Amino acid sequence: MKALVLAERSDAARELAAGARTMADEVVLVAIDGLEVADGTADKIVRIALPAGAVYDDAAATVASVFDAEQPGVVLVEPTRHLKSIAGRVAAHAGTAVITDVMEFAADGAKSLYFGGVAERVQKPVTDVAVYTVAAGAFEGAEPSGANAVEDAAWVAPAVALELVDSKPRELSGVDLNKADVVVAAGRGFAEEAELDLARALCDKIGAGLACSRPLTEGVDWLPTELYVGVSGLMLSPKVYVACGISGQMQHMVGCNRAGTMFAVNKDKNAPIFKQCDYGLVGDVKDVLPALAAAL
Amino acid sequence: MNIIVSCKIVPDDQDIQVASDRTLDYSKAKGIVSTYDLNAIEAAAQLAAAVEGSKVTAVTAGPASVDDSKLKKNILARGVDELVMCADDAYANMDAHATAEALAALVGEYDVILMGDGSADNYAQQVDVQLAARLGVPSVNGVTKITPEAGSLLVERTLESVVETVRVPLPAVVSVSPDVAVPRIPGMKDILAAGKKPMDVRAAAGAYAGSVEAVSTLAPEQADRKLEILDASADGAIEQFAAAIKAAL
Repeated sequence: MKALVLAERSDAARELAAGARTMADEVVLVAIDGLEVADGTADKIVRIALPAGAVYDDAAATVASVFDAEQPGVVLVEPTRHLKSIAGRVAAHAGTAVITDVMEFAADGAKSLYFGGVAERVQKPVTDVAVYTVAAGAFEGAEPSGANAVEDAAWVAPAVALELVDSKPRELSGVDLNKADVVVAAGRGFAEEAELDLARALCDKIGAGLACSRPLTEGVDWLPTELYVGVSGLMLSPKVYVACGISGQMQHMVGCNRAGTMFAVNKDKNAPIFKQCDYGLVGDVKDVLPALAAAL
Repeated sequence: MNIIVSCKIVPDDQDIQVASDRTLDYSKAKGIVSTYDLNAIEAAAQLAAAVEGSKVTAVTAGPASVDDSKLKKNILARGVDELVMCADDAYANMDAHATAEALAALVGEYDVILMGDGSADNYAQQVDVQLAARLGVPSVNGVTKITPEAGSLLVERTLESVVETVRVPLPAVVSVSPDVAVPRIPGMKDILAAGKKPMDVRAAAGAYAGSVEAVSTLAPEQADRKLEILDASADGAIEQFAAAIKAAL
């Protein structure tokens, strides 16, 4: 069987090509818009150059022509916006649906989050061709190989083309909680915005990043959206997670239940978080956090 | 401008319970419009307000239970003029390919079809592009701003590391990120007026062919935790808790 790999970043290309090697005899990587490919990534690299003013997504028709020429049994795709769009077009072309954001391939199928992590769903395709978008880390330990034989695909124009007017780098807040070893998360137990400084002081003490539960970003807008943990937000697995004023609803916990050690501070001794933590402290955050910061 | 907005009815995830065998129990979870589809509905209403003579038609396809008067009014109370719904148990648990097929049968004449960022259950972000492929029109995702032009839309897409400005020739499918528009909270007057708006509820045209099979759906296994709970007012409790944090760092 042959595998087709689509990636927008070189490290993802390498990882997916390595994973493809565990599933297929032959690995073909599609390199769109000058993707740099490390030596020994795949058997064949099919390059697609984007014409001036073309939007990345519009490479889909060309990718479909590569798909027809190669006839892969499996297509592995990096889950970026551009590539989700191309994967969808290729799947539609092949008469199937993409199985998205796969975390793990098991014997019975591909595992993805369901309802933002409330459950994990294992799915398998019933069609001849399987198209997956695959999250980073799904193929840990696999090594890519191949001669990287390069081929150039002729551009196939889409029926109706999009027009790229402008593209500029995005300004991000710079905090990447995914990489933080220690996370302090604030929830509705904070009565006013100024009290968040208590959580910030605790962060300073233990070198933690500040996260929050959804109500603090969407209900009151005290913190930016990219800091909330849980369903459709961040999915973290830090060494230490300190949940402050967070009740422990499943919708939040799915984003942090893989933490190494779970700490909780909440004034309600019956809060569900106290059934899901290693160490719990029953008390109001506004009294407990200053005392805790002083003791650390 | 003829604006279609597509939405999905899903069980309210805030009320999904996990049973002891790790399966999901939806019995307390009422059907709601999937969260991010509310942003798409608002974007549709705002686009209609910006282009004189526009009409917004909401479309949805799902199991028979989606034909619920409260739900229908909730959709129509958000600046939507008309609702076309296919409510049929043949349309339960569809994958993106099948959903696109079902929606293609519901959209009449249109200039643009707006969609939410992803559904609360699958969050596959695939129905937009599958529907566009099925209809043979362009599509664009991750849209955070829409400016109408003659015969096209100028959209801003916020991607992982860049912001793109793209001109999308119409007709087209556009999926929007939640940031595109803050959903309104319908007032009593909107809800009353919604009851009088046209609602076209249909049965499925036929069974769909699924291309993906769900093998299992289970809540993740709970991590074993120590469960050492202290009262903060007890002597030495704060120090003990602080020592545990230090030991774990």
